[in-house]
Amino acid sequence: MNRVLLFIDSLSMWMGKAFGWCIVVLTFATCYEVFMRYVLGAPTTWAFVMSIQMYGALLIMAGAYTLSRNGHVRGDMLYRYLPERGKAGIDLVLYIIFLLPGALALIWYGTQFAADSWRFKEVSWSSPARIQIYFFKTLLPLAGALVLLQGFAEICRCIVCLRTGRFPPRLHDVEETESMLIHQHENELERAQEQSGEKAR
Amino acid sequence: MTDPQVALLMLGLFIFVVLIGFPIAFTLIAMGLGFGYYAYAMPNQLENIFDNRIFNLFVQNTFSVMSNEILVAVPLFLFMGYVVERSNIVSRLFHSLQLAARRLPGSLAVAALATCTIFATATGIVGAVVTLMGLLALPAMLNAKYDVRYATGVICAGGCLGILIPPSIMLIVYAAVAEQSPVRLYAAALLPGAMLAGLYMIYVVARATFNPALAPKPPEEEIPPLPQILWQLLTSFVPLSVLILAVLGSILLGIATPAEAAGVGSFGALLLAVLYRSLSWDKLREAVFLTARTTAMVCWLFIGSWTFASVFSYLGGQTLIENWVLGAELDPITFLIVAQLIIFLLGWPLEWSEIIIIFVPIFLPMLDTFGIDPIFFGILVALNLQTSFLSPPMAMSAYYLKGVAPPFVTLMDIFRGVMPYLVIVLFAMVMLYVFPGLALFLPEWFFG
Repeated sequence: MNRVLLFIDSLSMWMGKAFGWCIVVLTFATCYEVFMRYVLGAPTTWAFVMSIQMYGALLIMAGAYTLSRNGHVRGDMLYRYLPERGKAGIDLVLYIIFLLPGALALIWYGTQFAADSWRFKEVSWSSPARIQIYFFKTLLPLAGALVLLQGFAEICRCIVCLRTGRFPPRLHDVEETESMLIHQHENELERAQEQSGEKAR
Repeated sequence: MTDPQVALLMLGLFIFVVLIGFPIAFTLIAMGLGFGYYAYAMPNQLENIFDNRIFNLFVQNTFSVMSNEILVAVPLFLFMGYVVERSNIVSRLFHSLQLAARRLPGSLAVAALATCTIFATATGIVGAVVTLMGLLALPAMLNAKYDVRYATGVICAGGCLGILIPPSIMLIVYAAVAEQSPVRLYAAALLPGAMLAGLYMIYVVARATFNPALAPKPPEEEIPPLPQILWQLLTSFVPLSVLILAVLGSILLGIATPAEAAGVGSFGALLLAVLYRSLSWDKLREAVFLTARTTAMVCWLFIGSWTFASVFSYLGGQTLIENWVLGAELDPITFLIVAQLIIFLLGWPLEWSEIIIIFVPIFLPMLDTFGIDPIFFGILVALNLQTSFLSPPMAMSAYYLKGVAPPFVTLMDIFRGVMPYLVIVLFAMVMLYVFPGLALFLPEWFFG
C-alpha cells in the first residue's frame, strides 16, 4: 500500500519538478527577447508565445505535485486543531465528492478540447510565427490525469489514517524557507534541552 | 428557489467548506462545476447527462489562466524571490546596514526594518523574510538588551511590506483580477509603500529616542574603519538595490512589461547569487521546485475562482449582492469603509491570495457606481492586507517569528509588539483616503 502511495507521490513530484524547469527556460527566453528588442531592436516573433506556454505548462503540471506536498492553500483556522482522524474524515469525503469530479472533467473535456486543436493543427494567434498550441492544450487532460492519480493517493492516505490514526509518511522534499528554518530551530532547541538535561543529571 | 438564491447558497456553502479546511482551489472548482451544472442544465439534461456547457466553460477557463499574459510575471517574480532568499544575501545586508546605522537611536531596529524593506521588496514572500530576520536580527537585538516587544514588532511589520511595495506579486494578482494595468498599479503603490515604510521608520526612531531603555546602544565592539563599512555597503546594499531599482524603473518608465522586468530580475538575482558564490546546484533546484509549487498554488486558485465567479454571476448572485448594497444607499465613503472592514475581517482566517482572488472580485463591479478608482481601491486593499499578517489571532508573521524565536519570547509579546504597527497601517489608510493623490498622482504623471 505504502509503496503504491509513494510511487504516485514520486510520479507527481517528478512531473511537477520536470515542468518546474520551465521557469529557467522562461527566464532566459524573456531575457533573450528583452535583449533582442531593446538592445538590437529586432524583437523575436516566438518569445512571447513561448513564455506564455512555459508559464502555462509550469502551473498546470505542478498542480498534482503541489497536491502531493499538501501545498494547496487551506483556510485552516479550525482544521489545524482537529485530531488526525478528524482531518482524514473531512478530507476523505471532500476529496471524493470535490476533487475527483474536477479532475475527471479536466481529463474528459480537456481531451475533446485538445483533440479539436489537433484536428485543425491550431496555431497561436498572438504571434505571426504561427506557433502550434495543440501540444500546449494536450497538457490539460494530462494534468487532470495526474491530479486524479494523486487524488486517489490522498484518498488512500485518509483511509489509512482513519484506520491507524496517523497519516502515512510522505516523501522528503524541499521546504519553504520559513518551515525549514522553524524546523531547524526546533531541533536545536530540543538538542540543547537534552544536553542541559544530561548535565543536570 | 430562485436562481439568485441558489447563488447565495453556493457562496454560503463555499464559505462553510473553506472554514472546514479543504483546499480552496478544489472547493472552488467543485462548487463551480456542481452549481454550474444546475445553472446551465438543459430541459432534456437527464437524457444526456454528460452534455452540459459548464464542462467546456471550465476547460476554457483553465486554459485562459494558462495563457494569461499578466500572470506570466508571477512565477518569474517568485523565482527571483526564491533565488535571493536562498543566496545568503540577507545576512550581508543586515550586517552592513547595522554598521551604517549604528549612530541612530534604536540602530539595530532601524537596520532590521531597512533590511526587511529592501529584502521584502525583492522577494514579496512574507514568511521567509520574517523567519530569516528572526534568526538574524532578533538575537542581535535581544543580546543588546532591546525590549522584546519593540524588537519583535519591527521584524513582523517590516516583513510584510513586501506585499505592498512594488514589484510585488500581490499587485500582479490584483491586476489580473481587476483587469487593470499592473504597471499603473506599481506606480500607484510606490508612494503609499514608501509612506508606510517611512512611518514605521519614524516610529522606531521616535520610540528609541523618547525611551532609550527600549533600545540600549549595543556595546562598542571594534567598529571597522569607514572604508570597510563603505565597502560592505557597496557589496551588499548596492547590488540588490540596483537590481530592484532596475526592475522597477524599467517597468515604471514604460520600457518593459512586468513579466519582462521580472525575467531580467530573475536573471540578475541568479547573477548576484553566482557573484556571492552562494549559488549551488542544490539551491538552484530548490528555488525551481519551490517556484513550481507556489505558482501552482496561486494559479490553481485562479482556475477555480474564474469558474466559480462566472457561475455565481450567471445565476444572478452578483446582481443580488449589488442590488442589496446599492439599495442600502450608502455614500461612497461608507461603502469604502464597509468594504475595507470586510476585507480586514477576512484577513483573520484567510491569506491575501484567497482574499484577492475570491472576495475582492465581488466588490470590483460596484466601484464604478460609487465613482471609486479601481487602482485606488487596490492600493487601499494592499495596505489593508498588511494587517491580515499582523492582526491576532491568525497573524501569520507573528507565528513565523515565534517559530524561530528563543523560547522566552511569547506569542503575546509579539502580538503586543505588533499592535502599534496596526495603528500605523490604519493611519496610513486614512491618509491615503484623505489624500488619494498619494496613489493616483504617480500613474498620471508616468502614463498620463
